[in-house]
Amino acid sequence: MNASVFGSARAMSSNLNGLSDLLRRAVVEVRSGSSGSGTGIIWGGAGLVVTNAHCVPRGAVLEVGGDGKWRGAQTLAYHPQHDLALLAAPSVSGPLLEMRDPESLRAGELVFAFGHPLGVRDSLAMGVVHAISRDERSNYPRWIVADVRLAPGNSGGPLVDAEGRLVGINSMVVNGLGVAVPAALVQRFVERALSRRAA
Amino acid sequence: MSPSKSGGASSTLAELSSQLAAAVERAGNSIVAIHARRRIPSSGIVWRDGLIVSASHTVKRDDEVPVTLPGGKSVTATVVGRDSATDLIALRIEDAKSHVAVKADAGALKVGSLVLAVGRPGSEVAASFGIISAIGKGWRTWQGARIDTVLRLDLAVYDGFSGGPLVDASGAVLGVNNSALARGTPVTLPAAAVDRVLDELLEHGRVRRPFVGVAAQPVALSASIVKHHELADDTALLIVSVADGSPADSAGVLVGDVLLEANGKSLSRPTDLLDALSDVPVGESLRLKVLRGGTVKSVSVTPTDRGAGQ
Repeated sequence: MNASVFGSARAMSSNLNGLSDLLRRAVVEVRSGSSGSGTGIIWGGAGLVVTNAHCVPRGAVLEVGGDGKWRGAQTLAYHPQHDLALLAAPSVSGPLLEMRDPESLRAGELVFAFGHPLGVRDSLAMGVVHAISRDERSNYPRWIVADVRLAPGNSGGPLVDAEGRLVGINSMVVNGLGVAVPAALVQRFVERALSRRAA
Repeated sequence: MSPSKSGGASSTLAELSSQLAAAVERAGNSIVAIHARRRIPSSGIVWRDGLIVSASHTVKRDDEVPVTLPGGKSVTATVVGRDSATDLIALRIEDAKSHVAVKADAGALKVGSLVLAVGRPGSEVAASFGIISAIGKGWRTWQGARIDTVLRLDLAVYDGFSGGPLVDASGAVLGVNNSALARGTPVTLPAAAVDRVLDELLEHGRVRRPFVGVAAQPVALSASIVKHHELADDTALLIVSVADGSPADSAGVLVGDVLLEANGKSLSRPTDLLDALSDVPVGESLRLKVLRGGTVKSVSVTPTDRGAGQ
């Protein structure tokens, strides 16, 4: 068979390797006490981690792990309605992820989830945007619903598009579909939390 | 966070992603939401001008069926007909010329081809993505319809997707998805099979299926009988009942007869008889080779329409 038949499949495969490398540097594992763990996204390049609120129970002793090292972390802010938490983790750093505007997402676009499902570190899963669930009153995107396979441990991890831009934070599984908090809501949460602290 | 280049992936992936989204958008222009059951709506496809095809089990009413068109317009559809054996329903709406689906030949698909399932379980379209995992030939639904080719999918057919299309990477419709037809595993009825059912529904209001009126079970034939009659197979079908007044009854078929062949094809399982029947157009006859009292006889039976008079 002609080698060029596989050309774009091979190129796509190498694109996926690149995406996986980027995301591996952008996440940490979040551990709370002896209970289960989730995934966190290194925010703003260094010092901050965003994860799901349900991954970091109030009062729990937190550790974030990457490169085989575990470091202490403290919760700076919670947003229970959006299931978000912001952690201070002074010694972690990673690449800046570009944000994807949820309004520009289209059903059928490729998306990728990265995290540590069932304790399997640095797992990549591919899927497509299934639907955008909007707030009934404001009509603003409330959840990104993706046809992507998630498991416990993916919580708090990134959902990105084909160019590695952050689409949302994987938060739950509903009827087999992955549900993520849109990146724009995460960004607003972080900005508010930091400005409150600065004030 | 200030925007910066993520730089993780490049063109091939991004290109595929935008092509998939465009395919969903193109397909979405012919997908309607059907509000005819509790919980969430199901999907339907504008198959021809003014005609919608969907999965029969998702449409729980036979009178006015509320439908939401791709643009968001609400219309009322009427039921043209249903075929329970393929779980298809045809609905008529006023005018939907601009929404008629572009179809593709499912025959060109191979195992591993990229496909999308698209539905409209509400006002917006929704999608899932995967590959063709198997192409089944000569499959028979549990209600007895024979389908030449059935597509098995490595993708999720979510709530509300039944009745919606499986589309190729260009957004052209390959067939109708159904999660109930194969007891749980999602399958797709190819467009060609849908067209055949639709033609029958339009012409007769239902799909005619040939009926002869016998029940049969496999029976082993002794070596001496096989040798004596020079039979191709050592298994045949024993007639265990003949319905009163049925075509088989009129043709003189008796309980205890052993069916050897139908139209020259040997019969060893009951489905062989169904297959032979499926090949006979309504109104034409079926030649049966029967073993009765040690001699082989030929009997001609003219099947009637199973659904007639119901």
